[in-house]
Amino acid sequence: MGEAIRGDNGPAPFRVVIVGGGTAGWMSAAAIRRQLDPKDYSVTLIESDEIGTVGVGEATLPHIKIFNDMLGIDEAHFMRETRATFKLGIQFRDWDQPGDCYIHPFGAFGEPWGGVEFQHHWLKAQREGRSKFPLEDYSYSVVAARNNAFEFPNEDSKSIRSTYSYAYHFDAGLYAAYLRSWAVQRGVRRIEGQVCDVSRHPTTGDVVDLTLKSGEHVAGDLFIDCSGFRSLLLGKVMGVAWQDWTHWLPCNRALAVPCQRVGALTPYTRSTARSAGWIWRIPLQHRTGNGYIYSGQFIDDGEACDTLLAGLDGAAQGEPRLLRFSPGRREQAWRGNCVAIGLASGFLEPLESTSIYLIQAAVTDLIALMPRPRSAGVDPRLVNEFNRLNDMQYERIRDFLILHYTANRRVGEPLWDYARSMPLPDSLVHKLQLFRSRAALPSHQYGLFARDSWLAVFVGQGIAATGYDRLADAFPLSTLDERLSEFRTRIQTNVDAMPSHDAFIANYAPAMEITNAEAAVA
Amino acid sequence: MNICQPLSRVVVLGSDVDLWLSVNAISRALGPAGVTVIAIELPTRLKPSDISATLPPLEAFHAKLGIKESSLIRATAGSFSFGQNFIAGSRAGRNPAFFHAWGAYGAPIDGSAFFPCWLKAARYGLKVSFQDFCLTAVAATNGRMLLPDEATTAFGRTDYGYHLQTMAYAGYLKSTAATLGVKIYQAQKGLVERDDSGSIAALILDGSLRIEGQLFVDATGPEAILIGQSLDVPSDCWRQYFSVDRVLSARAPAFTKTPPFAEIRITGGGWTALHPTPATTGVLHAYSSDCLSDEAALRSASAAANAQLADVSFHAVNTCVRSRVWDGNCVAVGGAACVLDPIHDVDSHALQLGLVHLLSVFPVTGQFAVERAEYNRVMRRSYERIRDFQCAFYALAPFDGNFWQQARGQAVPPALSHKIDTFRARGQIAPMEDETFLPDSWQAIFTGLGVTPESWPPTIDRIPPNRFKEEFHRTLEFIKGKVLEQPTHDGYLDTLGRSSAA
Repeated sequence: MGEAIRGDNGPAPFRVVIVGGGTAGWMSAAAIRRQLDPKDYSVTLIESDEIGTVGVGEATLPHIKIFNDMLGIDEAHFMRETRATFKLGIQFRDWDQPGDCYIHPFGAFGEPWGGVEFQHHWLKAQREGRSKFPLEDYSYSVVAARNNAFEFPNEDSKSIRSTYSYAYHFDAGLYAAYLRSWAVQRGVRRIEGQVCDVSRHPTTGDVVDLTLKSGEHVAGDLFIDCSGFRSLLLGKVMGVAWQDWTHWLPCNRALAVPCQRVGALTPYTRSTARSAGWIWRIPLQHRTGNGYIYSGQFIDDGEACDTLLAGLDGAAQGEPRLLRFSPGRREQAWRGNCVAIGLASGFLEPLESTSIYLIQAAVTDLIALMPRPRSAGVDPRLVNEFNRLNDMQYERIRDFLILHYTANRRVGEPLWDYARSMPLPDSLVHKLQLFRSRAALPSHQYGLFARDSWLAVFVGQGIAATGYDRLADAFPLSTLDERLSEFRTRIQTNVDAMPSHDAFIANYAPAMEITNAEAAVA
Repeated sequence: MNICQPLSRVVVLGSDVDLWLSVNAISRALGPAGVTVIAIELPTRLKPSDISATLPPLEAFHAKLGIKESSLIRATAGSFSFGQNFIAGSRAGRNPAFFHAWGAYGAPIDGSAFFPCWLKAARYGLKVSFQDFCLTAVAATNGRMLLPDEATTAFGRTDYGYHLQTMAYAGYLKSTAATLGVKIYQAQKGLVERDDSGSIAALILDGSLRIEGQLFVDATGPEAILIGQSLDVPSDCWRQYFSVDRVLSARAPAFTKTPPFAEIRITGGGWTALHPTPATTGVLHAYSSDCLSDEAALRSASAAANAQLADVSFHAVNTCVRSRVWDGNCVAVGGAACVLDPIHDVDSHALQLGLVHLLSVFPVTGQFAVERAEYNRVMRRSYERIRDFQCAFYALAPFDGNFWQQARGQAVPPALSHKIDTFRARGQIAPMEDETFLPDSWQAIFTGLGVTPESWPPTIDRIPPNRFKEEFHRTLEFIKGKVLEQPTHDGYLDTLGRSSAA
């Protein structure tokens, strides 16, 4: 079959043109360069140093490791370069009501016994007065996070230390730069410039070429719109309508400011609910990222700024930067020969660190459904499948985010009062009813989030399950007591032996300038 | 009854496998949690010729019910089935046979799925068929078992279903139900007594005995005595998707060597399925009464089976799904919930799905509106995914004959259209929730029916062609070696101590 499979001296490659750098642009460029043959596909990325990137995605989900591994990136090197820390989950403070605190971990709660999921056993033990310990005590990753401890998960699936995974906090600007250098070294053509005109095919409407401010023309076969909120190609040129989700996710502004790093490195992102939204805290090696995501309807920018600055745990580094956005998404992420990835296709607030995950999912699907080299035009059947998968991802994450808002007891604060009473998507109503009635968790095979994530947030947001699975009643109470007690002790013993997150990073992937600074002090 | 009290009394009305599998499942899982199950057995609808052909997940379900495979095979004079062999008969001779196996096809190459690699190689002249890369298929077509070991597990999934004599299987399940302490009543007829809310309060057996319950399971098959006849829950017709409206069932003599698979022989007027067991061969002929009379169907089935048929009977198939499979306090399972087309032997699996989901949302108390709504949603989706898989077979069948022409002209559900489009365009199986059939099965059926994707994911173009050659060669050698290690199907049945009396 040899030479017939690919004409090595065949026609010119299929031209993929990416508009916009930033995380979306460079993740797309790197993934395509890594996975597709350069003889078949050329990749050009146009970005302008004059246009800032949003970089809201400084906290990630464990899937990012699959992406980095796919590129063959060395983890310690990448962590040093992006000032990264490890992340075992997200801590939610004051979300259910002021004073409450829970962690949504990247890990399991307990383990199934007798074929019955753990939460049923736990609920039964509570109901019968056999255990007073909170659910979180049965999650290895929650206990480790509370202890500011970190180590890599164990690969032996029988070990309690295999019951979690991890993600990173990193500087998204540095990550984009890291990927840029990776991609450019491997043949991605980077053009510094701004798109000022777009020419389209007179009959198909497909984009044919882009004119840059410099006068240069960039022609392509497929255009990836990574232009952020501006949605330059998909929104402005192709005219794909925006589907607004403000009625479910009312926050539409963010103020972001880094501050000096103080104290131990937490191996988790923190999200603290406030009167008109919530404040993120993302620990990096060299600084801490902070931001207040709020609804402009319930607070003005000045007051939001004061609230943010008053809550910092170190000195602010510069003035807070204001971002305006709308929650929602484009009705199709791919139309004609334009695919939007990242903020150009939609925006979901970073409450569950899904921005980079959505980029990764989209670029993975795009590569699998990418037009063949030398194909005439884009096959609409591939476009339909891409859009179907993209919709599924957005809607599932959307429901999970809405849950955090609607299940609250912050009575008397207008945003939270609204969130408790707003009409919900049917798909979320079912999930809430099932949990309330019998502690059942949503189960689907594709997309986010897994059952333990729903469990963490249902319980964390104070949703009481009135019943539990009847199958748990087949499990003897005395055995249950023993198992619960043993499991909890096993977690505690193992976590006690873990190194601290600070010590682990200092040993594994210290950022250079920090190491140097420490050396200078010494 | 106090609706806040735990729900503790379940009455199952029905007959045969639908009844007894339900009773076993509910009693086994929930008996220890304080649920009492009462079985009301109506007269059997089975014929001695009936064979239950089952899908792979039944093995694990049986295991949960404490049913031992060897004892089941002995008691039912049953056998193993590693898939379905499709044969296009002489009248449609241009179409080669294909095998739809319950196992993995090929193994990933350098991290890429096997199918697109095979697809690309086939485009460039590879003559080895897709199924030749399926260990399960090759073992089965050579009359062998496939006993998994470390090497086969590393290679991929190797599953199987069963061919069980249905009467013996139902009897076996009835005897295990009795050991669980289930109270069993026999009746000719059950009448429904409803309470003020319209729920079922009790069943009146043969005009006298009154059996109360909190939840009633309709396991009466397509007659749907509770959910249909008594509660008047309508069915949504699926006839627009299917041409088959009639089935002949019969038996033929056993094969001298029992094939470890079902064989589907295509005729111009429909298809004939042979379900071999060591004692007898079950024969089904599915057809459309528009195209074939019963007499012609019998001739056609006899010719396809190439045997004298005995115990011949005919029945209508009215493909449909209950609009609400759980209504009030009545849950329909199996044929009472959904009548599926006979292709691919999905009935026992549809029953199993209904029971698995019922256990997963089994009411905590008498207030179960939420559970009921969820059950109806999940079951509808699950049945639709099975229906779509069946529908694909007819929509894409390239066979000659009136029946096939009619079958190709039937409606295609939108989710299936999308799936076919995605496959044609890229060779990908569009992932959907609540699927019964794995991508391997979809690929086997699509490919077997001659649908060739127009492209493959470009990621595999980075793999050098000689890597394909090496891996194909290695896989074929592995399969050859593994198959030769396997016992023959009959030899293996002998080691289980099969009953010769059956």
